[in-house]
Amino acid sequence: MKVKMISRNPDNYVRETKLQHHKVPRNYDPALHPMEGPREYVRALNATKLDRVFAKPFVCNLSGHRDGVACFGKHPKLLSTLATGAYDGEVRIWDLANRISLRSFVAHDGFVRGIAYARNGQRFFTVGDDKTIKVWNAEAPDVGEEEEPVNTILSRHILHGISHNRKDNSFATCGEVCAIWDEQHNDPIKTLKWGVDTLHTISYNPVETNVLACCASDRSIILYDQREAQPLRKVVLTMKSNKLAWNPMEAFNFTVANEDCNLYSFDTRKLQTPLKVHFDHVSAVTDVDYAPTGKEFVSASYDKTMRIYHAHQSHSRDIYHTKRMQHVVCVAWSLDNRYIFSGSDEMNVRMWKANASEKLGVIRPRERTNFNYQEALKEKYAAHPQIKRIARHRQVPRHVMNAQRKMRMVKDKELVKEANVRKHSKKGKVPFVNEKQKHVLREDI
Amino acid sequence: MSDDDEQYNSTAHKKLLQAISNLGNVQHIRKSTRDERQPQQDEFQLFKSAKTTQHATKAVGVNDLVQILRSSKHIETGKKLKNVHSTKKVLEKPLEKPAADRIKRTIGYEGVKKKLGRWDAVVAKQRSAETQIFPIPSETIYINTAAHAKALRTSIKSELGKELEASNKKLRELRKAQIGDDTDEQALAKRESELIQKKLTRDELYARRRELAYLKMRESQKSAKARMQNKIKSKKYHKLQKRQKILEQMKEFEVLQKTNPQAALEKLNALEKSRVLERASLRHKNTGTWAKNLQVRAKYDKDVRKDLAEQLAVSRQLTEKKVDSDSEDEQQRARQMETNEQESYDPFNPWTKSKTAVKDEPQAEGGDSNWRKYWIERNENEKLLAEHSAEMEAAQLEKKQIKKAAKEPTKKKKKPKVVVENGWVVEEVDEAPVKAKTLDDIFDAQDENIYDKISQKLVKLRKQAEMLKQPTKKSKKLKQKRDELKNLKDLTFKKTKQRVEIDEPLNQEEVTSKPAVEGVNDLSKLEEEKKLEVEPTEIDPNKVATITWKQTVRSSDAMNNALVDDDAAEYDEADAAAERQLTISEAFEDDDIIADFNKDKTNDSEVKNTELQLAMPGWGSWAGAGISQKVMERRNKRLLLKLAAPEKRRDDNKDNLYINETSNKQARTHRVSSIPFPFKSLADYEASIRAPIGRNFVPETAFRMLTRPAVITRKGQVIDPMDESELVKPNRRLRHVVDKRIRRQEQADQAKLPKVAK
Repeated sequence: MKVKMISRNPDNYVRETKLQHHKVPRNYDPALHPMEGPREYVRALNATKLDRVFAKPFVCNLSGHRDGVACFGKHPKLLSTLATGAYDGEVRIWDLANRISLRSFVAHDGFVRGIAYARNGQRFFTVGDDKTIKVWNAEAPDVGEEEEPVNTILSRHILHGISHNRKDNSFATCGEVCAIWDEQHNDPIKTLKWGVDTLHTISYNPVETNVLACCASDRSIILYDQREAQPLRKVVLTMKSNKLAWNPMEAFNFTVANEDCNLYSFDTRKLQTPLKVHFDHVSAVTDVDYAPTGKEFVSASYDKTMRIYHAHQSHSRDIYHTKRMQHVVCVAWSLDNRYIFSGSDEMNVRMWKANASEKLGVIRPRERTNFNYQEALKEKYAAHPQIKRIARHRQVPRHVMNAQRKMRMVKDKELVKEANVRKHSKKGKVPFVNEKQKHVLREDI
Repeated sequence: MSDDDEQYNSTAHKKLLQAISNLGNVQHIRKSTRDERQPQQDEFQLFKSAKTTQHATKAVGVNDLVQILRSSKHIETGKKLKNVHSTKKVLEKPLEKPAADRIKRTIGYEGVKKKLGRWDAVVAKQRSAETQIFPIPSETIYINTAAHAKALRTSIKSELGKELEASNKKLRELRKAQIGDDTDEQALAKRESELIQKKLTRDELYARRRELAYLKMRESQKSAKARMQNKIKSKKYHKLQKRQKILEQMKEFEVLQKTNPQAALEKLNALEKSRVLERASLRHKNTGTWAKNLQVRAKYDKDVRKDLAEQLAVSRQLTEKKVDSDSEDEQQRARQMETNEQESYDPFNPWTKSKTAVKDEPQAEGGDSNWRKYWIERNENEKLLAEHSAEMEAAQLEKKQIKKAAKEPTKKKKKPKVVVENGWVVEEVDEAPVKAKTLDDIFDAQDENIYDKISQKLVKLRKQAEMLKQPTKKSKKLKQKRDELKNLKDLTFKKTKQRVEIDEPLNQEEVTSKPAVEGVNDLSKLEEEKKLEVEPTEIDPNKVATITWKQTVRSSDAMNNALVDDDAAEYDEADAAAERQLTISEAFEDDDIIADFNKDKTNDSEVKNTELQLAMPGWGSWAGAGISQKVMERRNKRLLLKLAAPEKRRDDNKDNLYINETSNKQARTHRVSSIPFPFKSLADYEASIRAPIGRNFVPETAFRMLTRPAVITRKGQVIDPMDESELVKPNRRLRHVVDKRIRRQEQADQAKLPKVAK
């Protein structure tokens, strides 16, 4: 008698785990899965809850500075290196992987105002309140040797900030004037001046590398081209801008951190209205830095919190704070899009995860697919009220909450007032003004 | 006197004279020019004439030079110089510094804007990309070849080696001579050296080799295919292939007809010739061996008979002389009209009413009510109107055709007939004539339509061109106002996969979100309004539409076709008609909505009203019969399950209200109350969340595709900012399976799109 039977090679059906999971042939007929919607919804809900459970963004604290941290310098090539400058003129180089300070030396008298790495990452430049630009080797000196700058440039003007060109050997400083320097020369190649106000921050466009922008103390943002003899354009906002960051993926967009608790994203080609006003901070925004993907940016504020924004949305997606963190002065997004660094008044540098609930360490492929699935589910059901509520709930410090309440009250009051005025005045006399247009005073040519 | 003479100071005298002469002079203030140096610049760019300011000797002017030249032999040069002097304007003084700076700044800014504008396309693409991978993958790989280059070996060959080489060479030649190989070794060597001289890079060499390999592979594939095809003996296959070829030719011909009529004519001739040839030959006459063999079997086999008949039909088709297709069309149309007229109708049914054209005159005009009169009048009016409009249309059509210079006879539109039968008035709606139209008519109409549109567009374009020609001041103003980000906006694609964007402040405190509640109210209000609007049309209070169907229907109409797919139906016509009738009556069965509504309301409570007897026969009576009735009753009472008293419905006293009490209150908090941001319609949003994405519900590859994250980054890799090479980079070659699949899908979608648009 001949017996016929189906035989299957178990190698094709057994997963390579110690648990010997058999691969189950599935029938995907939707009629057989009547509850697929509800099941996915529950999965999404659980994923959201887990996301909040695992949302522990704080990675570590780097302590060592003896005064408030003033500025950061990101190494363009090494992810584990970060340079920080403090109010007492001390510069520290950190090994982030091991969470230790590799070098520390006093670079300037008074504040260290800015740190910028050279293009190849072998040198870095610091500027301080003592009107000097100092060039340092990125490599630590040998044992027994003293920390000495490779070069010290005495500037004729006060210096407030420095930024290095990404593609050539020039860098720019700001202060009384905007000066373009060459690495080989001790005198600026060019000084660009518009008005008499102090320029307190400068930033090179990372994509279109000839373009740079400054923020001035007359509440203006000034655009420069390093090849031109004249500045390009000036736009004046209602309050002073503290920092400026260019979008590394979109050459024409930049964001400024403003004193009026908001951030403004501009398109360089259309400066009379910002593309987006980013709200949510309750005190002056001190620093802003873009993620290297250009999709998000992080902002530091005087209200002792940091917030993460989508570049095209006006409200933050996350807020980071700890009890001990005081006014956050500077912030940086690591170049692998994973971490955020914050330097604050109380002398500490902190490291955070850019994605609060992301798992650190090795992620196996199956884990990865599961995370992807959870992420997709969360996105799919994002508008459902329960999921939205859980995903967007944050505990914030009491002072932030109170300030927010107060701000909301003020805003409501103003709205009511405006509405009343409108109601009692001639039609069309009190126009509706777009929120975006309220903050730009004028554009100077 | 001599003393006086001595005292005479010539310079002082001159001064005096000049002062006197200047007394009557006006001060000439001119615009300053660049012809002389001036120690001081006036802020208004003006200066007094040299006479007044400079009492010293005048500077040498060009005129003096000319004078001198005139007197000498260089008269020509003098003339030229004078000409030059008179024609050329002296440059104006440069602008004031602030103004000049402003201009410079504007120019610089424009330049930067232009430069930044280059990135529009790249940024738009990045933004709309479903998945972005960082660092942006680059195609170029840099290899330091110098580091791995081997040192040249320049050792001197030994004597022995040289001798060996020479003998080897001789040996090879001998062997070659033996085989009869006559390839020129030297030529090969030469080519090789040439190639080396060309210095192909490694990549180029690889590319060339790959290309060659690919070509070879293709060649071999093609030859293999041809061989295989030649081997195929199936007649059917060859027949099909031939048919396909003919079809292709026809297609080509059609294309040619539009593009190149000359070539098309030739092609037509060729086609005709082939037809003639085939006609001349005795093919398809069932005289071949194949047919003869089959004829034997034809007696017993139905299929064979069919094949033979087909063959004969082909031959008939081939040998047939071409007849004017127009007359045939006419006949067909006539036939169709007849069938249309035969159609039955139902006066109450809006579907059938709108479709049928009925012929008889009103029979019982005497016994009609007022409304019938009205209808008749109305019909007559409409008849007149229709006639008039038909005439107008015909006239228009003629005009158009004259324009087109097409020689086809104009087809007059048929007047919509309004005929009455059985005392029922039926008005014909536009759809009926559309149905009666032949394909040609439709195409003609389409052609006309297109022609009209094109001509309109041309007129528009011409106007625009004229507008452009006139350099008006308005256009300048417009230019200033132009949107700088227009290019970027134009370039942005609509995202294929829309996702919810929640741009709200993080909720730090549990505040009942007021706007959301308002939204809900709005939504419900909207729905209510909709209902209000819809209801009166749907529910006919007089229940006009609820009618029993007794008349038989003989033939189909368009609506029935839509309701029932009669292609699939295999039973006979009458059955099908009955079925269709049923579907229509079914469609109107629910028209008594009010009654249904009330019934629905009572349904729930009915279920709750019942009592359940739980006693089973035999249970509790183990001892057999004879148990007292009392005990039995008591027991039965115990086992009678009384359901709870029917709850009072919340909408009990409200006739027009139905509150769904089965809906879950707990589930309500999980429901979305308003359409989230980027979506514009409920249908869109529902579509976006309807399909499952889990691997339990969709196949693995689909799961991977659906759960692809929007941003992929790699650990420990620095993400560099956008590079200029992105501007000129071709599409990335995809390695990942999912990527490839997505790309393919996109391409397929794109291929589909234009068809849909048509």
